[in-house]
Amino acid sequence: MVTGSSGAGTKFFGPATQTARLMLYGLLAIVLMAMDQRGHYVASVRSQVAYLAEPVYHVMEWPVRAMRNVFGQMQSRRSLRQENTALKEQLLSQQGALQRLATLAEENHRLRALIEGAEGQAFEYQFAELVRVDLDPFSHKVMVDRGSSDGVEAGQAVIDGAGVMGQVEDVLLHFSTIRLISDPNHALPVQINRTGLRTVAFGSGVTGVLKLPSVPRQADIREGDLVVTSGLGDRFPGGYPVATVTAIDRQEGQTFVLVEATPLAALDRGREVLLIDSPAPKVDEQPLPDQLEAGDGEKASGDEQGGQEAEEPESAEVDSLEGEP
Amino acid sequence: MIARRDRPGTFYLTLASAIALTLVYLPPALDVFRPYWVALILIYWCLESQALVNLGKAFIIGLLLDLLGGSLLGLHALSLVILVYLVTRFRARLRFFPPWQQALSVFALLLNDRIILLWIISLRGDPLPSFGFWLPPIVGTLLWPWLFLLLDRVRGAMRRRTSS
Repeated sequence: MVTGSSGAGTKFFGPATQTARLMLYGLLAIVLMAMDQRGHYVASVRSQVAYLAEPVYHVMEWPVRAMRNVFGQMQSRRSLRQENTALKEQLLSQQGALQRLATLAEENHRLRALIEGAEGQAFEYQFAELVRVDLDPFSHKVMVDRGSSDGVEAGQAVIDGAGVMGQVEDVLLHFSTIRLISDPNHALPVQINRTGLRTVAFGSGVTGVLKLPSVPRQADIREGDLVVTSGLGDRFPGGYPVATVTAIDRQEGQTFVLVEATPLAALDRGREVLLIDSPAPKVDEQPLPDQLEAGDGEKASGDEQGGQEAEEPESAEVDSLEGEP
Repeated sequence: MIARRDRPGTFYLTLASAIALTLVYLPPALDVFRPYWVALILIYWCLESQALVNLGKAFIIGLLLDLLGGSLLGLHALSLVILVYLVTRFRARLRFFPPWQQALSVFALLLNDRIILLWIISLRGDPLPSFGFWLPPIVGTLLWPWLFLLLDRVRGAMRRRTSS
């Protein structure tokens, strides 16, 4: 078809054929878009073909990487020293805070174990850097430099230093794309930290705004409230900060209030992110009814859990904590 | 006459640079000004050497752009197919416009393209974009005369090399 129409071919066919071909291609494009939007077929084909795109990203990223290296070399000794001392101070103060947190976490583990709760496990983090390739601004995606060769899997939660960023969507060999929480099709199960009110945060299509459309009118919610992940839905582990509530619109006669929140993570200007390795699915850790009766049963479930996640060092610690008293 | 024909190599080289310019990292403040490079390149080749560009190619280039850029599959394919169709349709007139008038018609083409994109965005249910959405056509128009001269140079150089 391409050879038939190349050359001076189009001239002889006249505008009618040309219009027909426009219609054909236009229709094809619209069908493709609809399929991609609905998530039929196209998504899987796309993730296969994306492997071909990988070399392109490597090439595109190279000059930026080189430039960053050059600037890194040029940074003076003095500024490096200053940065070093500043970072050391920061590390020390955060270590201090962490010490306290560690005891709290242990206490929390113990209490959770008592009530057979499923939350409070430790997660493993994987460091990744954003790839400096600009994807389509309307796609609400970013790319990081870890892929299937580093053990990244689709669906992993992604955070940065301040809060939740999104989740891994397509995994290539050395790259993966992340769908940001600002995507209008992205829904995130959250709760209000102050009151424990559970709801869902939707992206709005604008980087700086999340929408919480299903908060009832009578609900106790204020501006400045911290929104954290609730851990429902099994994708995102609970307790990670997501956003702060910035605007509440209580309209007369409406069942729900319109709540807007600003994401804490630097969605469009961050550089380093963490991929969260979630441990085994939470379903496994639900205690069986007969195990609830005696303390022995509780231990048995703990051991079982340890066996299932042999690579998780944390569950072994929980066991030893339980043995202590 | 045959020796002075454009080689497809030149076309693909400029196309690859346009795709690279689309993907290359820019600070967020500059990112809004990024023109629609691939469209500009396609308009040029469509005007100057129509044998190299047709609707099928435009469609495939658009799909490639969608795959690389992570946008909705078919989005750029649709936009480029319409663009190439319009340029082919009005080619005889556009070719002999003085530069400023040609730049104006390029502006119209790019604006039309943005309107199509806006239509798709609203169909998806995304909120309407901010003012920055309308900047790329303006930047593209301002760049057009210079880009035209540059591409003419490149094309001339490549031609001389092939004929010698």
